[in-house]
Amino acid sequence: MTVAVRLAGFWGTVPRPLKIVVSRLFMLVPQLFGVMMVTFLLVRLLPGDPALLLLGNMATPDTIAAFRERLGLDLPIWDQFLRYVWNALHGDLGTSIFTSQPVVSDLLERAPATLELITYAMALTILIGVTLAIVSVVRPGGAVDIGSRIYGLAAGAIPDFWIGLLLIYFFFYMLGWAAAPFGRIDTFVTPPPAVTGFYTLDSLIAGNPQAFFSSVGRLVLPVLTLAIVNAGALMKMTKTVFADVYRSDFIRHARASGLPERTIRRIALRNCLPPIITLVGFMVGFLLGAAVLVETIFSWGGLGQYAVQAVVNSDYPALQGFVLVAATFILVVYTVVDILYELADPRIRV
Amino acid sequence: MRAPNAAPLLAVDNLSVDFGEGSPKALSGVSFELRRDEVLGIVGETGAGKSVLARSLLDLLPEGGRIVEGDIRLDGASVLGLSETEQGKLRGARIALIGTNAKALLDPVATVGAQIARVLRAHRACGRREAWAAAVDLLAQVGIVNPERRAKAYPHELSGGMAQRVVIAMAMVANPDIVLADDATLGLDATIQVQVLDLLVKRCRELGAGVVLITHDLGIIAHYCDRVAIMKGGRIFELGEVGRFLEGPRDDYSRTLLDAARVRPTPMAGQGEGGGVTDEAHAKPLLDVRRLEKFFPIAGSTEVVRAIDDVSFSVGRGETLALVGESGSGKTTVGQCLVRLLECDGGGITFDGVDITDMPAKEFRPLRRRLQMVFQEPYVALNPRWPVRALIAEPLRLDPGLDAKGREHRVRQLLDLVHLPLSLAEAYPHELTAGEQKRIGIARALATGPDFVVFDEPTTALDIRVRAQIIDLVRDLQAEIGMSALFITHDLNSVRSLAHNVAVMRHGKIVEYGETEAIFAHPTQDYTRMLLSAELPIEQGLLQRDRAEARRLAGTA
Repeated sequence: MTVAVRLAGFWGTVPRPLKIVVSRLFMLVPQLFGVMMVTFLLVRLLPGDPALLLLGNMATPDTIAAFRERLGLDLPIWDQFLRYVWNALHGDLGTSIFTSQPVVSDLLERAPATLELITYAMALTILIGVTLAIVSVVRPGGAVDIGSRIYGLAAGAIPDFWIGLLLIYFFFYMLGWAAAPFGRIDTFVTPPPAVTGFYTLDSLIAGNPQAFFSSVGRLVLPVLTLAIVNAGALMKMTKTVFADVYRSDFIRHARASGLPERTIRRIALRNCLPPIITLVGFMVGFLLGAAVLVETIFSWGGLGQYAVQAVVNSDYPALQGFVLVAATFILVVYTVVDILYELADPRIRV
Repeated sequence: MRAPNAAPLLAVDNLSVDFGEGSPKALSGVSFELRRDEVLGIVGETGAGKSVLARSLLDLLPEGGRIVEGDIRLDGASVLGLSETEQGKLRGARIALIGTNAKALLDPVATVGAQIARVLRAHRACGRREAWAAAVDLLAQVGIVNPERRAKAYPHELSGGMAQRVVIAMAMVANPDIVLADDATLGLDATIQVQVLDLLVKRCRELGAGVVLITHDLGIIAHYCDRVAIMKGGRIFELGEVGRFLEGPRDDYSRTLLDAARVRPTPMAGQGEGGGVTDEAHAKPLLDVRRLEKFFPIAGSTEVVRAIDDVSFSVGRGETLALVGESGSGKTTVGQCLVRLLECDGGGITFDGVDITDMPAKEFRPLRRRLQMVFQEPYVALNPRWPVRALIAEPLRLDPGLDAKGREHRVRQLLDLVHLPLSLAEAYPHELTAGEQKRIGIARALATGPDFVVFDEPTTALDIRVRAQIIDLVRDLQAEIGMSALFITHDLNSVRSLAHNVAVMRHGKIVEYGETEAIFAHPTQDYTRMLLSAELPIEQGLLQRDRAEARRLAGTA
């Protein structure tokens, strides 16, 4: 009891930002455990015997039994789960049936491709969405305001693959400005040695300008495609929130206090951050799987494509690996979102 | 009579404002002058155009508003037609505004110190650290204890009175020539109001600034202002020295206002006359509260705030109890515990012989029809997307015996009961005045024919005349339907005409409890005496009269 009281007393003295980070990170442990359990059960819940599924129609009862033993399928379910967790923690997610490579190395090759695409696409989305929203609220009835309304309607209605195809048609086929939609880097350019997995960063680290410009060129169209589709939603939401804040009493009071308009806009934007953070976090998680059409069009070789391939080919180890990585990634993103959200709004009790 | 310093600091000349072609004028032909070291009071009821006037002085009219006629001169130079940048240099630096409801005026995600420093840096070139030091210094000057720590607080961590001081500090930081205080103390406790106004006027006198005090409280005018302007319908009806105005206003409307403010509530009719309260009813109170307790945990520690600390009282049938205290005394928490919006942590509540303290929500639901609450802020408590008809009909659905036609009939009855015209049935909350919103809130609470109603601050933030009307309404209702009521308020004087008993609350405890007249006649506690004296009387203070005399001699007035 006294220990608990002393602990509570100590926790009270911890600065708020540290409190937020520590408590959120603490939450990650049970959450990750839950994710592992779900991915493990995923294969178990599929109809039929996993051994049969993995071996295919040509299996004899003998090979099935041997295979079951090798996979540990004859063990009690808790043992199996513990083995799965143990293996996963040691970087073993099984072998892909389709590529015949360890799932981990497959994922390690493809995950950075998708992450690089998502990162730049989100950065551009935020830039376009938030800027358009602010300008159209500050200058209502102006060209940007009217244009952004039309864009907001269109962005919700046009699918991403169609925009991707249009961009390829105009900028690659007709005008010849953009790089070819065949992968992340020119076939004649050697990819830089992997450090971060992002070609743009790795080529800078390796000091290879040729690889850098080639990979940036290849990024332009897919990033633009994703940003055009997603910026519409972000813009609409930011516009609503920002317009509300911009009309609020404290902004009016800031103006009456003679603060310059630039400062007032910054104050208003700062107050809009929490919902923006939430939506951006949601979009990042969503794009991980949803970018698959764009990845396919640009032959990107990313995670989404890999997952679709795994489903089409009944490649269960690969699928299991993808779900684990995707779920972990989304969990990390949401944790970051929660932390940022609480940091952005001092009114939230920690 | 022209002394050398008689050149007006601010001159408003025949100012007219409207909201678009053909709309009625929000201000028409307003003229006045403000000198250095002068406090000008502007009085008027809601909709008189006081706020529009303040905002037109800063060129910050609400959307659609425009100045159609007249001129505003600051030190002889017109400020109309200045560019946005030049206006920005004026606002805050030369003319500062202090608005109503300080908590809404502060940026919720920035520390108050940073907000004050921000204003200073907008008007004077100085470093971050220097501005912060100035902000802390100013917070100390506006009477905030422990300013270093408070400067790092966020607005939601401050009380209303403290937030108001921060807003005053924000207005003072650039040493303005003119301070506009637009209902700056509305909604604050009377004791805090006096402190805040004292501070504001003192600071302005030190700086030699001119002050425009906009208010609907004539007590404030009498105590703080040199001259007063009476506004109604966008016009100034009377403008003159406060002393002379109080002695005898020239205008009819001014006289009505002054009379309404001077009226002391008539004491409750003798207890014997309220014959409905029989001995039997006294023996068995309708509502009985025993040793009620409610604690709120303090974040990050094991201590608690004792919001209600051992509170006991009872209310008989047809009886009204007034629960009086300053904000933070726990009176609203008591009201919310009674209607089970909050669960209490100890003690018991008995309603009509039934113990409702720990009654499951499902069993309590039918009882809610008999136990209703009128919320403090009617506008917040009303669904903005519903017309009045639907708002009043909503609680009627609790009554299974009513069909659509019956509900329609009852809505009309209720509108009549709270003295609202039928034509308002299709109006939406934002189209109503504050007084009408209060009435709708009362009608909603009365819809199910309750035996007991909790009124939470029903007269706060209302104009003088509207306040009197609401009190009359509650009194009529007592007589007509004989309900019991708990009247929660911070204004002790307002309950004299309608409460049988009074309980004075402080820091979660009842410090004085007894019959209304006995408490008014012989308060035993200092705290009760302080509450009784906190409302500013409509007589000019001695100091104020001396000052007016001195000014007259100096020839500046």
